[in-house]
Amino acid sequence: MIRVVTLDSYDDKQLAKFSRTLYTAFGVGSEHSGQFELPAGLPEPLDAEKVLDAVKGIRAYKDDKVLYLTSRKLKDRELPSGTAPTNGFARFGKDKAIITSHGYKDLEVGYKPVARHALHQLGHLWELHHCLDPRCSMYPPWTPSFAAGEATFCTFCREKSEQKIRLAKS
Amino acid sequence: MPEGLQLAVGNRVVYPNQGVCLVTAIDVKEVAGQKLTFVTMRREEDGAVVMVPQAKVTAIGVRKVASAEEVSEIYSFLRSDSDKADLDWKQRARTNVDRMTQGGILGLAEVVKGLQVLSELRPLPTKERELYDNARHLLVSEVAAALNIPEVNAEDSVDLVLFPPGRERPKRTAAEFKPRGEGDEEDLGLDGSLLGLDGDLELPPDEEEAPAEEEEAGGEEGSEEEGDEEAPAASKKAAKAEPSEEGAEGEAPKRKRGRPPKPKPEGEAAAAPAVPKKRGRPPKPKPEGEAAAPAAPKKRGRPPKKKPEGETE
Repeated sequence: MIRVVTLDSYDDKQLAKFSRTLYTAFGVGSEHSGQFELPAGLPEPLDAEKVLDAVKGIRAYKDDKVLYLTSRKLKDRELPSGTAPTNGFARFGKDKAIITSHGYKDLEVGYKPVARHALHQLGHLWELHHCLDPRCSMYPPWTPSFAAGEATFCTFCREKSEQKIRLAKS
Repeated sequence: MPEGLQLAVGNRVVYPNQGVCLVTAIDVKEVAGQKLTFVTMRREEDGAVVMVPQAKVTAIGVRKVASAEEVSEIYSFLRSDSDKADLDWKQRARTNVDRMTQGGILGLAEVVKGLQVLSELRPLPTKERELYDNARHLLVSEVAAALNIPEVNAEDSVDLVLFPPGRERPKRTAAEFKPRGEGDEEDLGLDGSLLGLDGDLELPPDEEEAPAEEEEAGGEEGSEEEGDEEAPAASKKAAKAEPSEEGAEGEAPKRKRGRPPKPKPEGEAAAAPAVPKKRGRPPKPKPEGEAAAPAAPKKRGRPPKKKPEGETE
């Protein structure tokens, strides 16, 4: 089950459409699990890793994946080989991820790229690595063509995600 | 304990093709009457436990996790604009398997880089796509272990180098991978072993020259026959062939590949054209006496009933 948790206000219809897209991509139930407030004191742009640790109290089962959705900017990450533009972050193989719709007026305007980022981060939760196919949502997200693509997986990534989901304990 | 790899409980090691493991115990066990020292390792990814005899640790290829310096070397290797990709799939598969098992972290990076460069030419086949994914997974987990960072950050740091931000991957052509100074033999896509077959054959000197002469003669005959039978077509072909012949002036005549034709037997047998063999079972020999009269065709079905004699009268 994919639980979408919003950290800012979004249109319900858009969220329903967003959940449907996630359901289509993974074949797993997806729902909006409510809106949560960020704890006070987190500076902007948000540090994605800290947000994942800070937000608590979300009810989820063991194999559920929780996706936080925010409209605030996420801080670019400083990595050993350079600075990574950050539109989302996920803990590989774990259960929490975050994406941002920053840069778009609402979810309607930036629906495609936001949904693609969502698939990308959720894919990391199901242990998918980056892909070589530019049409796949697991393609590195900082490439220019990423935002223009559809929210789908290539055959390899889709099969791998299906296999991981099938092996889930619950 | 083999030299060069001193393991202790709590060390992090890399088991080839398995990933980063933690040494949890080194103890002596009795197996089949022998006392052996075993190193017990637990894979960090999923907690799988493996026990290896201490004497075989080096032979298996277990090694310590790469250092930060080695990782920075990996980044610079991945950053380099490589145009090396082995187009021979068999050779490539063999090399990649060796790199995965014995190449260390650099071997993993070479596999990832090589297959990524190849994917810029054409989509990877399924097996190689799986190999790419495995190599990437092992590389990322080792980089994460070496630098003590989350795996997602390790993967992004690798891909920042492989896919620099703001740039699309270039499209490559097969010509870019072609080694320089090679002739048109590469165009056939033949294996290196096949190409080298002619040179490896050791024939006696008298046999070496004979096939070449026959081939030349055969070639001329063929061209003459074509000229007789298809004069207009041949003239067109000749017109087309002229530029290439001009271009090839001064070059050595190309050798024909493959097995040389069998020498024709001399004498009467050679002169008389061989009767083509008929396939199938040979026909039965006909009986001499009755053979002259053609046999009445057999009627199928039940023989007609004999009419009773009384009724006929």
